[in-house]
Amino acid sequence: MSNRLSGISKTLVAIVLIIIIVVAGVAVYVYYASTPQQTNLTVYALWQGTEEDNFKQALGNFTENTGIEVTYFGRTTEDLLVSVPQQLANPPYDVDVIIAPWPYWIKDNSPYLTAVTDVITESDFPANIISPVKTDGTIWAAPFKLSGKPGFWFRDSFFQNNGLSVPTTYEELVATLLPAIQAVPGIEQPIASGDTDGWPLSDTTEGFIMGLGGYQLQLDLETGPSARNWTDPQVRNVFANLTGILEAGYFSTPADWEAQIAKLWSGQYGLYWQGSFITTLPEVQDVNDLDFFPFPGTTGVAGSVDYAVITKEAPHPDEARQLVQYLAGADAQEIMVKQGGFLATNVNVPNSAYTTIDSKVVAFMSQPGITIVPDLDDTIGGQWQTTFWDQLKLLWTSPSDSTMNSVLNALQTAAIEQQGT
Amino acid sequence: MMKNKNKNPFFFLRRFFTISRLFLIPAFIFLMIFVFYPIVATVYTSFISNTTGNFVGLENYNSVLFHGVYPLINGPNILQGVTPLGGLVNNFIWIGIHLPVVVFSGMFLAVLLRDVKGGTIIKSIVFLGVVIPLVVGGVLFRFILDKDAGVVNAFLSLIGLGGITRTWYAFADTALLSIILGSIWIWTGFGMIVYSAGLQGIPVELYEAAEIDGASRWKTFWRITVPMLRSTSIVVVTMTVLWELKIFDIVYVVTRGGPGGASDVLAYRMYNIGIFGGNYAAGSAIAVLLTLMTIGFAAYMVSRMSKP
Amino acid sequence: MKAKIATFFSKAKAYLVSQFKKIKLPKEKPKITRFTVLTHVAAWVIATIWIIPFLGIFIASIRPYSEVQFGWWNLQPFHFDPTNFIDAWSGQTSGYPLGNAMFNSLLVTIPATFLPILISALAAYSFARFRSRTKDILFLILVLLQTIPQQAVIIPIYTLFNNLHLLNNYIGLILLHTAFGLPWQVLFLRNFFSTLPIEIEEAARVDGASYYKIFRRIVLPITLPALASLVALQFVFVWNDFFFALTIITDPRLALAPQVIPLLVGRYFANYSLLTAGSILVMILPIAIYVALQRYYVRGLTAGAVKG
Repeated sequence: MSNRLSGISKTLVAIVLIIIIVVAGVAVYVYYASTPQQTNLTVYALWQGTEEDNFKQALGNFTENTGIEVTYFGRTTEDLLVSVPQQLANPPYDVDVIIAPWPYWIKDNSPYLTAVTDVITESDFPANIISPVKTDGTIWAAPFKLSGKPGFWFRDSFFQNNGLSVPTTYEELVATLLPAIQAVPGIEQPIASGDTDGWPLSDTTEGFIMGLGGYQLQLDLETGPSARNWTDPQVRNVFANLTGILEAGYFSTPADWEAQIAKLWSGQYGLYWQGSFITTLPEVQDVNDLDFFPFPGTTGVAGSVDYAVITKEAPHPDEARQLVQYLAGADAQEIMVKQGGFLATNVNVPNSAYTTIDSKVVAFMSQPGITIVPDLDDTIGGQWQTTFWDQLKLLWTSPSDSTMNSVLNALQTAAIEQQGT
Repeated sequence: MMKNKNKNPFFFLRRFFTISRLFLIPAFIFLMIFVFYPIVATVYTSFISNTTGNFVGLENYNSVLFHGVYPLINGPNILQGVTPLGGLVNNFIWIGIHLPVVVFSGMFLAVLLRDVKGGTIIKSIVFLGVVIPLVVGGVLFRFILDKDAGVVNAFLSLIGLGGITRTWYAFADTALLSIILGSIWIWTGFGMIVYSAGLQGIPVELYEAAEIDGASRWKTFWRITVPMLRSTSIVVVTMTVLWELKIFDIVYVVTRGGPGGASDVLAYRMYNIGIFGGNYAAGSAIAVLLTLMTIGFAAYMVSRMSKP
Repeated sequence: MKAKIATFFSKAKAYLVSQFKKIKLPKEKPKITRFTVLTHVAAWVIATIWIIPFLGIFIASIRPYSEVQFGWWNLQPFHFDPTNFIDAWSGQTSGYPLGNAMFNSLLVTIPATFLPILISALAAYSFARFRSRTKDILFLILVLLQTIPQQAVIIPIYTLFNNLHLLNNYIGLILLHTAFGLPWQVLFLRNFFSTLPIEIEEAARVDGASYYKIFRRIVLPITLPALASLVALQFVFVWNDFFFALTIITDPRLALAPQVIPLLVGRYFANYSLLTAGSILVMILPIAIYVALQRYYVRGLTAGAVKG
């Protein structure tokens, strides 16, 4: 039986079929690609929930003053970290301003950003906040929000009712306070451990690093193996202490970090190492009952700064500059401060704007014996960060000398890979 | 139908674009663009350096298999019997546990539910595990294995083992096993359904003859049912092993390969290094390894199927 | 022409009836033996094990989280709380509205289900009716292509889509799923076409019908059951897919349903009530498709299993 084409109809059919598929495809593509022209700015950040609402209030104020609409989109960490740069490398895109807490990411992606050197006034900000995002005199990001991880948070009422007092030395913390908390009825473990991404464990570990090893140790680790190895005796000492406390069962199993706040509040935990933004979270039912004490004897505090950047091919560059200028300005930051859980980077924001507990945090972070140090994992970043979080989870769930050694080795290997020797 | 051969300009076109070939063209185009080209590109990428783009031979393979923080084969740990053993090893452990259990319980359930009243409903329920998205399966199992909210711990408390309750997937020694358990619950339905179909293909006369000869049920099962299910078994084993090799969703949702890489698997490591970490070369190397394993295994099983 | 079709159908019917008569089992004895009891008990124990997780998430989803936190089996107090579903759908707590995500999933799944059928039907017909040595080799390649992991193609595809601005665009995802569906669909349909007697087509050919007409008027209608299998399987597969969605769609506004689930886990409160409600919403559609097209789904799955 011949299977050669007979009649032009065959070819026609095939051609028509292909055309239909192509036309359908193009039609759907055009439909999706045609976003209605908006005259408002698009902002990406990581905030959700309460933090998002607070931020939108500041944005609302901006719109009132300037008439420029702003649309906010909350993105996930992974998304902002990995895929947004891919988009930036392939214009066109629709995002104008991004707020990110990672200085290394900002520097890495500076080819895709517009410099803000002339958008902000450098002297409005402390030097150690500008320097992480400044290269050769060009400033790539405007500082917006500061958060600190000042120490162990607790309920004043809990301490008072159980006759506990704030420790002034490390020995007091470990030998007196922790066992005392453990003995209180209803307590599961003295210290809550937060999970989900892994940063709460990281923050706690940084507290130990600076508390037992000094702020310079953290700075050296951030520089990389050229300055400090994870297997060096100073680091080992810090981790040995941490592991000891873990082995004694003083830390809880890591669980969802926000749920742990609720458990702290209901008396199942006594202490929780957290960031200053804890004061705005809904699980804290009474901010006036909330208090903290720093790691006894520490010389540093981990602070992370949320920076605002302008994308290079922003659809609305002028309006974007206005927004960033506004966000970096004292007015906007004062609005945010008044909502609570927000520490300003701009030095012109008056101290009186803060809530009691927030001003205590600010007072602690600006006292002479304390150096603000960038967040460890946010600074090194990349794969090292996820490895760090993963390894800490391992240490938390199976604390032992051998685990500690393998964790330190793993961190060292990852550091060499990422930061070089 | 006879055209003037020599004068028709479309002649050669028509000779080539026969209907049989024409019908193949759309599929061919799709497969070229979305399957063949990427595979070739992946293989190529696996042999070059991620930073310079120069050819580096097997360096990427060496580094993902044996080096880095989460090597796929963690030699020292294997020798000591400590987790993490490595993603590749974890996949094999997965196969070692998951495959026999699924095959046997699949066969068992197919035979058991064949004659039971309401068997079809039960089969449908068991099969639901295969139908739901794997991420939901993962969430389901996170929920089940949770310390406070999970059924497993409640059951343990019930039978007096309340002391060992914990969030099973959060600890390095039990993370992998707990996910494997979840995957067994999810995938058993597949084996069961395929074996059910296979059972229907067994001629009733064989069973009738066995009954007449007075054979016990046990003997009937082993001497008739199992051998007749040989080709079915090959299909079940093949599909199950392929599924085990490619497992990703559940690991992502429940443990992210942790803690400390204890539940790492090939597909997850590929995602973590290659896509999340942006190291295309290393990620491609893992992808090639995974593909070699899947194609190799499938080819082997296909050849066995052809044997009488 | 119509007469010939009628003859074909009556012949087929006669054939099927005769086969069915053959496998009719002898009358069941109503005796209830110990064995019967045992098997029934075992069957229902199995059913319970499998249904407990589903029961758990259902109960957890309709109650407020505070009641479920320490175990959904604690039935006092029991408050019915449908707001979990509304919350999950609108994304109030999580910021990721599942309602949107499910709609997005539909936008991808429906085209990705029907487009490959078109293409694979053409290709399968060509494979079935026009044999050649090259075709046999190509067919073998297709068999092996089924086993390729998604990881093998993702890196070059990601780069390709990035350059074509197809990232975060459903078109690319649809085409990708189409391509991945082709190998097994062509396999399945070719086997199906091979079983169709060729006499009808030959008769139509003699009558002067073009290949295209034969395909459309005769072959396609008969193929509907097989196409139903393809629809069922492909729909569930694309809807449940996580890896491609995760890597290609990164804008949370465009996320597909399975992508939102891990976000609910990792992002916020481990609110199991919310999580389970969300999981149920995402599961409903594939389960519904399975239930509606169960026969075809199972047939599609077991196609390779019941050979001679």
